[in-house]
Amino acid sequence: MVKESRTGVYICQAGTGAADSVDLQAVAKYAEKLPGVVLVNVIGNNPKLDPVSLGEQIRKEKLDRIVVAADSPGYYKPAFVRGLALAGGDPENVMLASFVGNGAGAQGSTERAKAVVNCAVHGVPYGLAATPKDKPVHPDTLVIGGGVGGIQASLEIAGAGKKVYLVEKFGTIGGKMAMFDKTFPTLDCAACILTPKMVSVGQDKNITLWTYAEVEGVSGSPGNYKVTVRKHARRVDEVACVACNACSEICPTVVPSEFDAGISTRKAIYIPFPQAVPNAFLVDEKSCLWVTSGGKKCGACVKKCAKEAIHLDAQDEVVEITVGNIVVATGYQVFDAQKIDRYGYGRLPNVITALEYERLTNASGPTGGNIVMKALKHNKRKKVDEWVFAPENPKPKNVAIIHCIGSRDHNYNKYCSRVCCMYSLKFAHLVREKLPDANCYEFYIDMRAYGKNYEAFLEHIKEEGVHLVRGRTAKIEEADGQMRLKGEDIIGDKVLDFPVDLVILSVGLEPVGDSEKLAGLLGIARDEDGWYAEKDYNADPTGTERGGIFVAGVCQGPKDIPDTVAQASEVAARVLKSIISGRMEDSRNALSLADIEASFRPQAQA
Amino acid sequence: MAVRANPNLLEELKHYGADDVTKCYHCGNCSATCPLSKEPFIFPRKSMRYLQMGLGDKLKGNLEPWLCYYCGECSDECPREAEPGETMMSMRRWLTAKYDITGISKLFYESWVAEAGAIMLVALLTGIGFYWFGMTKGGGDFGIYAGPNAFLPAHTEGNFFGLGWNVHTFDWIMGAVLGGLLVTNCLRMWWFTTGSRKDMKVPLGTYIKHAFLLPWHFITQKRYAECDKKKPWIIHLILMLSYLTLLILIMLFLHHMHAPETHWVHIFGYASTIGLLGTAAYALNGRLNKTETHYKHSHESDLIFLFLLLYVGTTGILQHFAYRFLGNEILANFMYIIHMMGVVPMLVLEVPFSKWAHLAYRPYAMYLAAVQADVIAEREGTKVPALAPQKQMTA
Ligand SMILES: Cc1cc2nc3c(=O)[nH]c(=O)nc-3n(C[C@H](O)[C@H](O)[C@H](O)COP(=O)(O)OP(=O)(O)OC[C@H]3O[C@@H](n4cnc5c(N)ncnc54)[C@H](O)[C@@H]3O)c2cc1C
Ligand code: SF4
Ligand code: SF4
Ligand code: SF4
Repeated sequence: MVKESRTGVYICQAGTGAADSVDLQAVAKYAEKLPGVVLVNVIGNNPKLDPVSLGEQIRKEKLDRIVVAADSPGYYKPAFVRGLALAGGDPENVMLASFVGNGAGAQGSTERAKAVVNCAVHGVPYGLAATPKDKPVHPDTLVIGGGVGGIQASLEIAGAGKKVYLVEKFGTIGGKMAMFDKTFPTLDCAACILTPKMVSVGQDKNITLWTYAEVEGVSGSPGNYKVTVRKHARRVDEVACVACNACSEICPTVVPSEFDAGISTRKAIYIPFPQAVPNAFLVDEKSCLWVTSGGKKCGACVKKCAKEAIHLDAQDEVVEITVGNIVVATGYQVFDAQKIDRYGYGRLPNVITALEYERLTNASGPTGGNIVMKALKHNKRKKVDEWVFAPENPKPKNVAIIHCIGSRDHNYNKYCSRVCCMYSLKFAHLVREKLPDANCYEFYIDMRAYGKNYEAFLEHIKEEGVHLVRGRTAKIEEADGQMRLKGEDIIGDKVLDFPVDLVILSVGLEPVGDSEKLAGLLGIARDEDGWYAEKDYNADPTGTERGGIFVAGVCQGPKDIPDTVAQASEVAARVLKSIISGRMEDSRNALSLADIEASFRPQAQA
Repeated sequence: MAVRANPNLLEELKHYGADDVTKCYHCGNCSATCPLSKEPFIFPRKSMRYLQMGLGDKLKGNLEPWLCYYCGECSDECPREAEPGETMMSMRRWLTAKYDITGISKLFYESWVAEAGAIMLVALLTGIGFYWFGMTKGGGDFGIYAGPNAFLPAHTEGNFFGLGWNVHTFDWIMGAVLGGLLVTNCLRMWWFTTGSRKDMKVPLGTYIKHAFLLPWHFITQKRYAECDKKKPWIIHLILMLSYLTLLILIMLFLHHMHAPETHWVHIFGYASTIGLLGTAAYALNGRLNKTETHYKHSHESDLIFLFLLLYVGTTGILQHFAYRFLGNEILANFMYIIHMMGVVPMLVLEVPFSKWAHLAYRPYAMYLAAVQADVIAEREGTKVPALAPQKQMTA
């Protein structure tokens, strides 16, 4: 006769009480009724569990199996393993039930949490028990976001002969990488890698590219999603426009250039950058005088266009498409450095952010790649003096690069943004290369050179004579036109206070502002930092709770270009697998608690 | 000398209010932000390190906690919520316990029940003692409040300093005991921080040269004014000057306070009473409602201290009011005893063993810091100049 097992369920989680958090008491009640469970204990997230007293309890209750349920139960496992061993039990019999790992945490789903505990009690991994039914798949795919991630995924899928709709919010594809001069750690020319891919997207017959467009609605179910896309009117015919620049020359409206991260200007009718794909001008509806005045003012550009390509009265178009899979590759935005007043960003002209520096040091940027300081220049139109970058401006003698701006900081974003240590080293290299007489200081907390060849890159940059200072900068101040930096040099045991001319803030990566909205449309979850939640941290880092919806690139969490590209290709393979086999897994949410319970019934009878 | 690590140091410091030290990842933001952190005393980060590593001996010889006035800027900006400001505060409590030779301070800080119990015991003894003294040695008539025949005579006729059997006699005895304890503890502080250190050979001249700093920092708290936030300094200065004024008035000019006609003493007396109660109430409100960073964390000893201050202030007013405005001498005598039941424990327990000790340690630490800075500068040649970036840290 098989000996009845006596299982104890320990819930090592503190209920936050928030409406969207897991109801631990309900989970506990549910667990009490599961087969073999003789004890359920909600003990909160006490990091210092005492194995001896646990062992006593285990002995008293004659437990021979333990289920540890929590967001991250692995933290607590060792105490239970020892406790069970002390009580004479088999330490192998400690099962983990992770809420977060199986999608209950991010969604605050109590039903899911119950299912996860049920699986652990039965000794079956949740991922195995919860296999939704297969569904037929529509062969078309939607890719949202045309950064390097979205581009890669689109090219891979289209390359297999399948149809892709690529929807990009901005006037061109390319994302952040298009703005960069070099990429770490190889110091390759970013444009040389990206531009051919961008051109391929523009030329690929299987890719329908909609720029200046947004997803407005998603309905249907895995394998068969109906998606509404709003194509904002570009107001310039993409096909007819030859990008001659005649319209832009006459346009009176000057606004900061997004592509140059605001360190140069563009007109209301513009092309984001010369290699843009599609290689055509567009009209920014927010600043164009004709548009904002309802057709009453200006309109000067229309007559200038020899190709008659400008249609200022063009209307937005809303289209509905049907797709089987959706790839989300919406990337990131950078931390707003103005939130930390003590670094003076926004107040002090020569405190700039990383993206601004990328454009400053880029040969195609407004200074032709010269690293200079901003200088006051009279703006005749506005009749004011403005701080601007120009190629002939004086060069900085002391350049400081400050790491972890807005990252690893409990006042802002707690997580590490993962790429900024490396791009800061890249920046320092460019300073040393272009300004050999300048001092370059890099202030870091910890140097995170975790990737392939990264440590070698770090060593190389050190040898170039960059002063790496361990310590976070506390503040940048200005007196008599000279900026001063104050920070602790921890290894040198000194408080530094010295003059600097150019300060680069290595801002962290953040989820894009509208990611919550998009998550809502798609019905996928976001993690506590706002990144899109993957289905399973280890086993399924690109899938989501919803069948047929995948995440690739930084929108899933900070990562560099190689990781983004690898993820994008991996997603493409999964999409193709579903299209070719004609079947895909339904969403996990489609499975109810009852479905999971039912899957154990035959076992229970046996 | 080998450095010994004490693995239980962090646990120990928890009793003194340091809760978040392990969160610190040594970014150095705090030390660079702190307006008071200047070479050769750069804090608070290094103290966080000593704590994390269990370097109790280093910490015991550390003057830096006393150089911090807890403006709270480091805590506000700390990216890890490691509360460096509160850690410095906790280290001051811990150091107070270390300096104290009797061990009473340690007991009080580690158990507020012990502190509150001791206060109540002393209060009770004071009440009984004063009544007994009034009945036997004093005037013997509970109906007389002031003058030579008072139930509790403030001073004996013709003897300004009150030698002879009167209330002031106790003042002086108490003062001598407290002074003795504080001097002993200050000597220990000197030994831990300076005297026992092989690298701190201080010439006598250096000690003498900086001696003026003691009264200077005591009266002005000038260093506090160097914080970016000025309000806490003003509050603290008002509280401290009000207290000092009242102490002097009561010790030396009590007979004027009691006189029916208005005297300049009254103006000072009333102003400082308002100052004392106002600032103590402000601080209590701050602590209860956590209005500012330096009020966010309260150790029991902070609250006990404020409670005592408010108690003493209020009962002092009532006593004075009963005599001067109501003319009710019985009530005045009664309130007098009630008042003393707060005053005596406050002076006997708080000054040498608890929060009040900082009134001596702080200026004394600043004095020692100035002395040490001289020795360090001497040792390292001239004073370390502000770093010229071209020359330092060449990789
Ligand atoms: C200053 C800096 C320097 C860097 N240097 C390097 C380096 O040298 N090497 C390296 O490996 N990595 C570097 N990185 C990291 C690199 O930028 C990212 O790894 C990479 O850009 C990620 O690509 P992505 O496609 O995921 O996102 P992105 O490049 O951000 O692209 C996302 C695209 O999606 C679009 N989009 C966003 N929301 C929507 C929406 N709702 N609908 C439609 N479209 C949308 C955006 O407009 C954008 O075009 C650096 C990062 C920074 C900040
Ligand atoms: S109509 Fe608009 S885009 Fe054309 S020139 Fe005028 S402002 Fe510029
Ligand atoms: S990658 Fe480096 S700079 Fe960026 S957040 Fe992480 S530690 Fe800070
Ligand atoms: S206490 Fe905070 S600010 Fe100071 S070093 Fe530690 S983490 Fe940085």
